[in-house]
Amino acid sequence: MGGAAVEMRSVSKRFGSVEALADANLSARPGEVHALLGENGAGKTTLMRVLCGMLRPDGGEVLVEGRRLPPEGTRAAAAAGVGMVHQHFTLVPSLTVAENVALGTREGGGFRLALERVHERLTELEQVTGLPVDPGAAVAGLSVGAKQRVEILKALYRDPRVLVLDEPTTVLGPQEVDWLFGVLRSLVEEARTVLLIGHKLDEILRVADRVTVLRRGRTVLAEGREAVDAPGLARAMIGRETTPAARPARVEAGERVARLKAVGALGEDGRTAVRDVTLEVHRGEIVGIGGVEGNGQRELALVLSGRRRPAAGSADLPATVSLIPQDRGAGGLVAGFDLAENTALAFHDDDAHRRGPLIDWAAMRGTAHEIVTGFDVRAPGWRATAQSLSGGNRQKLLVGRELARAPDLLVAENPMRGLDIAAAAFLRAKLVELKGGGPGAEEAGGAGGRPAGAAPGIVLFSTDLDEVLDLADRVFVLVRGQLIAVPEAERNPAGMGRPMFGSEQA
Amino acid sequence: MSHSRIRRSVPALAAACFLGGLVVGCGGGENDSPDDALRVALLTSGPVSDAGWYAGAYEGLLLIEESLGAQVSHQQTRSPAEFDEAFFSYGSSGYDLVFAHGFEYQDAALRAGEEFPELTIVVSSGGRISDNVRSLIFRLEEGSYLAGMMAGGLTRSRVVGMVGGVAIPPAQGTFRAFEAGARSIDPDIEVLEAFIGSWDDVAAAREAATAQLNRGADVLVHNTDAASFGVFQAVREANGDENPVWAIGMNRDQNDVAPEVIAGSAAIDIPRAFLDVASRFTAGTLPPGALDLSLGEGVVDFIVNPEALGRIPADLLARIDEARVAIREGMLEVPRIEFLEEEPGGP
Amino acid sequence: MIRQLLRPRLRSRRIGPLAAGVVALLAATLLAAAGLALAGYDPAAAGRALVSGAFGSWERFASITLVRATPLILTGLAVALAFRAGVWNIGAEGQLYAGAVAAVWVGLTFPGAPAWLLLPGAMAAAAVAGGLWTLVPVGLKLRAGVGEVITTILMNFVAIHTVAWLVHGPLQEARGVFPQTDPVALAARLPRLGSGRLHAGFPVAVVLAGALWWLLRHSAWGFRVRAVGASIRAAAVSGRIHTGRVVLGAFLLSGMLAGLAGGVEVAGVTFALYENLSPGYGYTAIAVALLAGLNPLAVLLAAGFFGVLQAGAAAMQRDVGVPAVWVSAIEALVILAVVAADRFLRRGMAGKGGG
Repeated sequence: MGGAAVEMRSVSKRFGSVEALADANLSARPGEVHALLGENGAGKTTLMRVLCGMLRPDGGEVLVEGRRLPPEGTRAAAAAGVGMVHQHFTLVPSLTVAENVALGTREGGGFRLALERVHERLTELEQVTGLPVDPGAAVAGLSVGAKQRVEILKALYRDPRVLVLDEPTTVLGPQEVDWLFGVLRSLVEEARTVLLIGHKLDEILRVADRVTVLRRGRTVLAEGREAVDAPGLARAMIGRETTPAARPARVEAGERVARLKAVGALGEDGRTAVRDVTLEVHRGEIVGIGGVEGNGQRELALVLSGRRRPAAGSADLPATVSLIPQDRGAGGLVAGFDLAENTALAFHDDDAHRRGPLIDWAAMRGTAHEIVTGFDVRAPGWRATAQSLSGGNRQKLLVGRELARAPDLLVAENPMRGLDIAAAAFLRAKLVELKGGGPGAEEAGGAGGRPAGAAPGIVLFSTDLDEVLDLADRVFVLVRGQLIAVPEAERNPAGMGRPMFGSEQA
Repeated sequence: MSHSRIRRSVPALAAACFLGGLVVGCGGGENDSPDDALRVALLTSGPVSDAGWYAGAYEGLLLIEESLGAQVSHQQTRSPAEFDEAFFSYGSSGYDLVFAHGFEYQDAALRAGEEFPELTIVVSSGGRISDNVRSLIFRLEEGSYLAGMMAGGLTRSRVVGMVGGVAIPPAQGTFRAFEAGARSIDPDIEVLEAFIGSWDDVAAAREAATAQLNRGADVLVHNTDAASFGVFQAVREANGDENPVWAIGMNRDQNDVAPEVIAGSAAIDIPRAFLDVASRFTAGTLPPGALDLSLGEGVVDFIVNPEALGRIPADLLARIDEARVAIREGMLEVPRIEFLEEEPGGP
Repeated sequence: MIRQLLRPRLRSRRIGPLAAGVVALLAATLLAAAGLALAGYDPAAAGRALVSGAFGSWERFASITLVRATPLILTGLAVALAFRAGVWNIGAEGQLYAGAVAAVWVGLTFPGAPAWLLLPGAMAAAAVAGGLWTLVPVGLKLRAGVGEVITTILMNFVAIHTVAWLVHGPLQEARGVFPQTDPVALAARLPRLGSGRLHAGFPVAVVLAGALWWLLRHSAWGFRVRAVGASIRAAAVSGRIHTGRVVLGAFLLSGMLAGLAGGVEVAGVTFALYENLSPGYGYTAIAVALLAGLNPLAVLLAAGFFGVLQAGAAAMQRDVGVPAVWVSAIEALVILAVVAADRFLRRGMAGKGGG
């Protein structure tokens, strides 16, 4: 006990009527990568924010290297050597890497002087971590993975004794994950402690020394790596057995629902993000598009869903297209709207949900209720706003809404990201059901009436190659805005990885 | 939804509470003034700190208070929407006489006159009259003519400049007279004219004055209010021992505003005019229609700056004195611009 | 419920901010009183003048306070609607002038038309002109992505200078003497309500506030406006909301409300066009809308508050002789206090969020 780097005892925290943490315990030793697992809303992030002094717990105590921390105050936590890499980027886009790192550090002298020191230290860190980052580059121009690297460097710069990373791998490609884990290992070799929040079990098991599992705000498991396996952890997280996901049967594709011809699209910065993409999507098939984030996925998804007109080429799209953007629902939901209002974003002009020019809020609440129960959205109450939901529950609300539209075409960008195991399995099953034109479509489709067999076409963008390989009938990768088909014979991670990372083959 | 709605109306509730508190705290107080006292009000559309047009009016109001024992009130209006409101306020709380100091009040004054027959309104430089709405017209042209003579006598470059506020007839009239006065000394004098579109934009006035100085003018007159400070400043900066530059004040005796450069002021004795009107009003001898006040009544004059006397040729001063007498006796006709809509019928 | 209210944590959340708000108001009142006393004026008399000037009698309340509030309600609604749609329309002042010009033009050009035709015609023209005045900012925003804050402010200057030119030129009164237009035909004026100066523009403004509130809350159009304003990205991603069209519609309607304010001001109060027709209604409207939390019904209260303050301020000048500069400073002080009180209260209400 005396040797614990971080000791959190009986921590509790309540937000209004929601009990985020009830009896959470965590003990991490120096020199270990300690994984913190749990479903969405289990309290992982809340517990870590308590550790960093960002939240005041209602009860319990926090000790870092044997010393008790005051109940709130980020400075005290930082002084005790706790650093955190947040799930969402906290970088200032218009500043350079070095300037971002310098922000919040207290180097002596003027800002200029500090910057020079920052440059030096970053170069040192670069050698230690083997991580190439140009200190003078503007953050706005960096890829998502590079931004993540900067976030980590920013935390490392303060030389923390305890480093907390909140789901750092969600935005990284496979190679970057390997790199990150290498860095984490070298950190713990220096007798530091790494606390890693995650939900991908296989990844976690690759790097963790010990594991703590939270369920509904309580610590339900704390074991060494050698004592756990993936099914056991999943059981602990969910509280019951899971059934392994069934690989969907290949289905005969139906009529064509969408066609892109030589489509080009511009990114936010006005540069070409998608070039010369030609793609046909048919009813009853899942088209999987893999690739590292920032290669044109967002722009292609917007064009494919009719949310944006292509800058070049033509898009022939069906009447109803559902879009599940990424960012855990943040892009598709209005933070300050409640459940019914967020549902109304998709249904406010629907005949079944209005009376003349007025919205029929009773009908809207009915549809929202179907979504909430059908997708197990956990909300503190009916009037709960989207911002009061946890990330995973937001994503469930969004996915539920988009499926409820009974679309002809469904475009989904990393829909599983941020979902816990049960929810991901549920969504998987939904997608499979949907493409079969099965009961899923009927059940979710509050708007009703579609002829049997009129299953939607589904386009699944994912950075998780396994997900694409598992679900898709046809597989593509998107590399620097170009869509490259992966032949049937190459349907494996290596086959997909080659065009993504290696030299392009013909 | 309901939550956010409540949250949104909070500030309005706060404002309502504030108002409620005021009502409860102070109670609705009514004016409890003696009914027999003369009640006189003044409306200006500019600050009474302008050392000019409005300041004179305010002095006049205080003079009326002092001399006639009247109860007085002043309001500075900021926009035309406030004109009617101000008349309404005074009319409905028993005022007898309102000086509306500027042509801009004339339409609102006519409407208020109809609504409050008991009220008498005197509009300075007003162009419209009715039974109880009078116009007070200052024949400032007569003073301005003498100022023009002074300018014509002082200029070496034979170029003089005029910086006006808004191009309305009373202002234009003073410039025509100034021009005539200058040319009575030297018929070939060049006269520059500019209107800045505002009575109190100091920066614009300064810019216009500087432009005229750059074009060779060495005597500048203005007809503005607070903006006159801009003209004086420009002149002060251009003034040198080798090439003296002069300014001339207008509307009010401004000689002490910039004594080193002002040769004199074409002034209206507004306080005296107001007191005159108020006295006649109490005596019941205020004539209907327009009231012309000029050199003859001693309300308008050109006042030479005593500090500049040593630098002004004696024969020029003598010529100005001659002209003053000629105007007063009706021997010299000063050009002017008529702007009254209907001449008053009868005496 | 009562037990919950008595729980200390809740009490500190609700009553703490309330107390802070009250303290802010008291502090402002004391500061203003101290300032007045130092300058040699009787603060109690000034306070009495403020209250009696705004509320002294029903006639005075209707004729001054409500008349003052009317253009603030309409421009306040214009700003609130635009802000709800995420459109930063700072140009209500210019749109008001455009509306005033149109109403005066109609009122002068068709003097023979009957009142039932001329008055609505003038008001419609005012609204349309106000809407048209937003076209340049709208076009630049939607076509070229130019921020509307700058463009609407610039259009204010254009409007103010255009009015100056008009009253010195094409629209100047027939005699061509003074920089103003002739008064509009009687048939183009808003009818008076009762014996005072209160005109029909006030009930129209109240009804419009109610209608706008109801539309924002219940109609599909209002929902789209709220959605675009709350998150234009989520609205676009939903695929059911044409964000450009919503922005265009809200912007135009906002301009129309501000234009109507100008028309109502001309037809109900001044009857002619002057250079400085508005004492900055379009700018005060921003404070009104923000104070009202962008809620159209609360705009009525907030505009009423400003109406009271301005009516009372004028009375302070008249009855106590406090100079205009002082009065402006006190006005500003009270507004600051209300805004501060609002912040404290709001922070208290928001305490529940997060997580």
